Amino acid sequence: MKLLSVRDLVLDIGSTPILGGIDLDVDAGQVLGIVGESGSGKSMTALAIMGLAPTGARLGGKILLKGADLAGHTEAEMCAVRGGEIGMIFQEPMTALNPVMTIGDQVAETVLVHQKRSRAEAREIAGQTLERVELPQSRFPLNRYPHELSGGQRQRVVIAMAIALRPALLIADEPTTALDVTTQAQILDLLARLVDEDGMGMILITHDLAVVAEHADRIAIMRAGEIVERGPATKLLLNLKHPYSKALFEASNHVPARAGPPKNASDEPILVARDVVRDYVVPRTSPFARPGRFRAVNKVSLQLNRGENLGLVGESGCGKSTLARAILALEPLQGGQIFLQDRPVDAPEARRQMQVVFQDPYGSFNPRHTIARSVAEPFHLLGAAAPAGSERADRVALALKEVGLDPKDGQKFIHEFSGGQRQRVAIARALIISPALIILDEAVSALDVSIRAQILDLLAELSDRLHLSYLFISHDLNVVRAVTDRVLIMKSGEIVEEGETAQVFNDPQNAYTRELLASAPSLDEAIARRLKHA
Amino acid sequence: MLTFVAGRFVSLCLSLIVASIVIFIVIEVVPGDPAALMLGLNAQPDTIAALRDQLGLDAPPFIRYFSWIFGLLSGDFGISYTYRVPVSDLIGDRLWVSVPLAIYALLLSTIVAFAAGLLAAIRRNSGADLSIMGVTQLGVAVPNFWFAMLLVLVFAIWLRWFSAGGFPGWDAGFWPAIKALTLPAIALALPQASILARVMRSSLIDTLDEDYIRTARAKGLTRAQVLWRHALRNALIPVLTILGLQFSFLLAGAIVIENVFFLPGLGRLVFQGITQRDLIVVKSVVMILVFAVILVTFLVDLAYGAADPRLRKNR
Repeated sequence: MKLLSVRDLVLDIGSTPILGGIDLDVDAGQVLGIVGESGSGKSMTALAIMGLAPTGARLGGKILLKGADLAGHTEAEMCAVRGGEIGMIFQEPMTALNPVMTIGDQVAETVLVHQKRSRAEAREIAGQTLERVELPQSRFPLNRYPHELSGGQRQRVVIAMAIALRPALLIADEPTTALDVTTQAQILDLLARLVDEDGMGMILITHDLAVVAEHADRIAIMRAGEIVERGPATKLLLNLKHPYSKALFEASNHVPARAGPPKNASDEPILVARDVVRDYVVPRTSPFARPGRFRAVNKVSLQLNRGENLGLVGESGCGKSTLARAILALEPLQGGQIFLQDRPVDAPEARRQMQVVFQDPYGSFNPRHTIARSVAEPFHLLGAAAPAGSERADRVALALKEVGLDPKDGQKFIHEFSGGQRQRVAIARALIISPALIILDEAVSALDVSIRAQILDLLAELSDRLHLSYLFISHDLNVVRAVTDRVLIMKSGEIVEEGETAQVFNDPQNAYTRELLASAPSLDEAIARRLKHA
Repeated sequence: MLTFVAGRFVSLCLSLIVASIVIFIVIEVVPGDPAALMLGLNAQPDTIAALRDQLGLDAPPFIRYFSWIFGLLSGDFGISYTYRVPVSDLIGDRLWVSVPLAIYALLLSTIVAFAAGLLAAIRRNSGADLSIMGVTQLGVAVPNFWFAMLLVLVFAIWLRWFSAGGFPGWDAGFWPAIKALTLPAIALALPQASILARVMRSSLIDTLDEDYIRTARAKGLTRAQVLWRHALRNALIPVLTILGLQFSFLLAGAIVIENVFFLPGLGRLVFQGITQRDLIVVKSVVMILVFAVILVTFLVDLAYGAADPRLRKNR
């Protein structure tokens, strides 16, 4: 008997079908990877199995856990299953823990709601479980609060809560998406170890084909509430059949075609930074202490040439976004200088020559402005030279056309667009005053892989045609490898390695760079490994 | 935790010092001669001079400020100009009315708001929610002195359950005193309870949407367990903020309400002090009210620290 068999699972919210007949099987000790883009229904499938679908959802079909149909369970019976038979972990470790409860109490609670045990016994089990997820009691006592832990450590606490009672099935919904690559690798290894030790079945839900390629025994690929392809991982990956699976695979490995920078690019530096220092004041620890200082960027120097794509890679907190803000002259420097075309970046002439595209396509537009107004906004940098009247409208229309949108879209509002289209609008806004440099701060990180591939193609084409320089800031090594000419690796406010992208990726010199590259899940390497074993 | 309390305490002392300076400047330094002001337009120059001498107004402001502060610290609030008795005695008597009234109103509003906000949040968009929201909307809008008169009309004049005003004193027994404070407390509590209930509702609704609530459900907690163990404590944090802010409005409201119900409290004392230009009384009562507000803010800050472990560090 299968550990979990889902048969013809249907879910509607109102009159909108969300899931249209899902069939899944999970065996004990095996990992089922569910891959899909946003809106494919992969998280909803998990919530339906947990009996936690949103209110108003109507369910159909069978969810058999060890032969018992969960779809027929009452709420009280489901409460016994959740946390007891099935554990679940979520995407966002920073908010998944109750901020006013200690980690020990939160893990012990799993035990207390399911078993008649004393508080002391429950805390004992909590301590042992935290040890199992590699949070040793000596460094992470039970009375720690969530805010005292990092994202990766918090995710370990969430995992401890889910596995405290050694459930038969663990559902991990994008467990590492919000984490840095090195932390991601550790958490995925931990999950694999727990599956092995406890003979637990696991459903690993992710948007990242590389993650399932490395860790899953079986794979299901979802789109629009349906499974388009499923099978044993190796067999499926080596011979993708469904056109959508193939497209997803292509997009995950997409390398945009680019002519690259002109031959004599290094003679024409656009952006030069010398010994840039950026300190933050941290809150005082007592009323009489002096406020401390935190050095976010420590003596960073860089040069970016005309038409060049320069990558800036590092994990969260390494100072890469602070450096971007410094280059944009949004914050004062505590040392060093930054020049754009030989002018200090805070000079109005320099600011006209650079624009930025941010990560969040939802938060970076004023929802009450039309697209045309948003896109035309950088014109204020030109002062009296800004075009007016029909010329202004023409320039907006041209910018929208450049990024593949219809000039008529200018009259619409931002909520009428999808995430990928919004990022196109953001690029149009950056292009409108024909800058020399565009800073792309995690500009494709929030996008689905297929959309990401389109945006990367667009960026490459624009860079070639308009001789644009990009500072491409990202935590995603695969993307940086695909689109940049040179790369800087940043750690703790310093550049630890820099060089030609291909050279740095093929022959990293710095220990941290090597660790970073080893941690990043790679589809090619995973498939090569599977080929060898097959 | 100790640094947190110490930090809050330092800020309490600083606020008190700043408040005392402001009160002193407004009443004694800025507009002309307090003695002339207190005696009115028709006063003789020698009477004014005598009062100036009695008030010590000829000394430099710096000295006067410190003698006032040291007087306050040693319990010497000066002699009331109109009553001719020590201000400390006047205040002492009236505290026995005003403090119980404030606590009564605060308890009433908190309990009612907690229950109403909780019910409205867990039965979102139900009939109960809609009626609670409607009533609280009215409660915020209705002026409390008008509501007080309405209460008198209904419960004292028509139903004759309560007396229309006055206070028998605690010597008459606990229950008669409480009974006399009930209508004023309800009138004071209504706007507070309305605002608090609305804050409680929206805060709880936000909290129930948080990721950690979903995590707790995934652990196998029932809806009720999630509400009591995880949602309430987090939802109370913003409610505490409003509670602290509302306290000063409650004191201001008490000045009006004590007059409507003829209660011999601090509010009536300061009101009489102002109309009779008894600046010595006004100065001290205002300082006491400021002290009460700052003390409540301090207590709310401590409650914050207890409720939210994130605040105990680096603040």
